[in-house]
Order: sequence, then C-alpha cells, then structure tokens
Amino acid sequence: MGELKNAVRIQLDDFSQDEEIRALQATSKRMGGIATFLGCARDFSEGREVSEISFDAYDRMALPEMQKLRTEAIERFGLLDARIIHRLGVVRAGDSIVFIATGAEHRAPALEACRWIIDELKERVPIWKKETTPQGDAWVTPHP
Amino acid sequence: MITVLFFGPVAERVGTNRLDVAYRDGMSLQELRAQLQTQYPDAFELVSLAAVDGTHFRDMSVPLADSCEVVFMSKFSGG
Repeated sequence: MGELKNAVRIQLDDFSQDEEIRALQATSKRMGGIATFLGCARDFSEGREVSEISFDAYDRMALPEMQKLRTEAIERFGLLDARIIHRLGVVRAGDSIVFIATGAEHRAPALEACRWIIDELKERVPIWKKETTPQGDAWVTPHP
Repeated sequence: MITVLFFGPVAERVGTNRLDVAYRDGMSLQELRAQLQTQYPDAFELVSLAAVDGTHFRDMSVPLADSCEVVFMSKFSGG
C-alpha cells in the first residue's frame, strides 16, 4: 500500500494523475463522475519563448486557502471529494503545474466544480510565477 | 517589531523578502503601507492586497499588534 497523501498539497515534486484519481475514487463507490484539470507549463507566453517557470508562494496562507477552496467546492457543488495539488520551485516547459480532481455522483457538479476550483485558485491562492525567456526572467504581473 | 514579508515581483522590486519595521502603538495597516510605499514606490505599484498573520485583510484601518506578520502582495499568478 502506498503512503496516503493529503487531498490538498503544495509540493516541489511532480505528481501522478493516476495516483490522485485512484485516491479520489477510493473515497466513495457512489462516485459516478470524476472531472480533472491539469495545468501545464507552456513554452510560449506573451510573445516570448519560455524555457522554465519558477513559483514563489506565501506558504502560511497558500495551503489553508487551497484547503478552504476544497471545502467550499464540496459544499457548493455537493461533491463526494476533491483533490488539489500545486507545485512550487522550478518546472520546465511541458511539465505539470497544478492538478485538480473532483468527484460527484453525477458528471455536471464534478465538471462545474473542477472549473470553479481552478478559477478561484488563480484569484485567491498566494502563488506567483516567473517565466524564464531568452530576454531574461520576468514575474507574471496581472494588473491590480 | 513588525515583520513585513514580500514575495514574487514585489520582493524583487523591494530587493528583499523581509523587512523588520519598528512598531508604534495604534499603527494601522494603512499607515504601515504608506510608510513603506514612500520608501519603495515601484514595489507598491504592484501591491493590491495585504495579509496579517496569514489572513487576507481588506480593512486597512485595522490597528496592528506588535510582533505581527504583514505581507503586501501583488495579484496572484499561480495555477
């Protein structure tokens, strides 16, 4: 038996989508629909080639906020379970950054919740990314 | 003493991840921001939210406690 991993994690290491889906599905045989989102590092952004992305986070707030998102999603959409994993450190173009999996009795809430979680995560979780390009490194700075 | 933390683009413009600021009785989040904004105007152009002791604070008039931890943050870009 592998180690039971928390449903919400921030980590440096890559993750296995299969493992996360298996862990989600194991929580309830009533789960009729599982939706997933995988955020990947693109090799092109804002007109520049990107070789790698590095992430910084306010850990004290980031993990609790992600845990809140999971709890809110479960309540709001009537989910059976949800998992959220975000990497930190450096990822190369093509690597995985964030994974969300939602499970519900039916497909509609699972799909809606999955989208809701990633949209909310981008607004609420204190993580910042810096892109490495031939022109140098640059933090992505959405306008306030 | 108040610990002020910065991350990402704000930290880059301030030139450090952390400042220790002398505490004054009754000092508010807004006053702290104004003080640091004067010293680091380029960094504070990016600041759009603040947290105190790990919690997002919208009310900038809230008085701070000695030894608290404040973070001035730019819009997030995770996910």
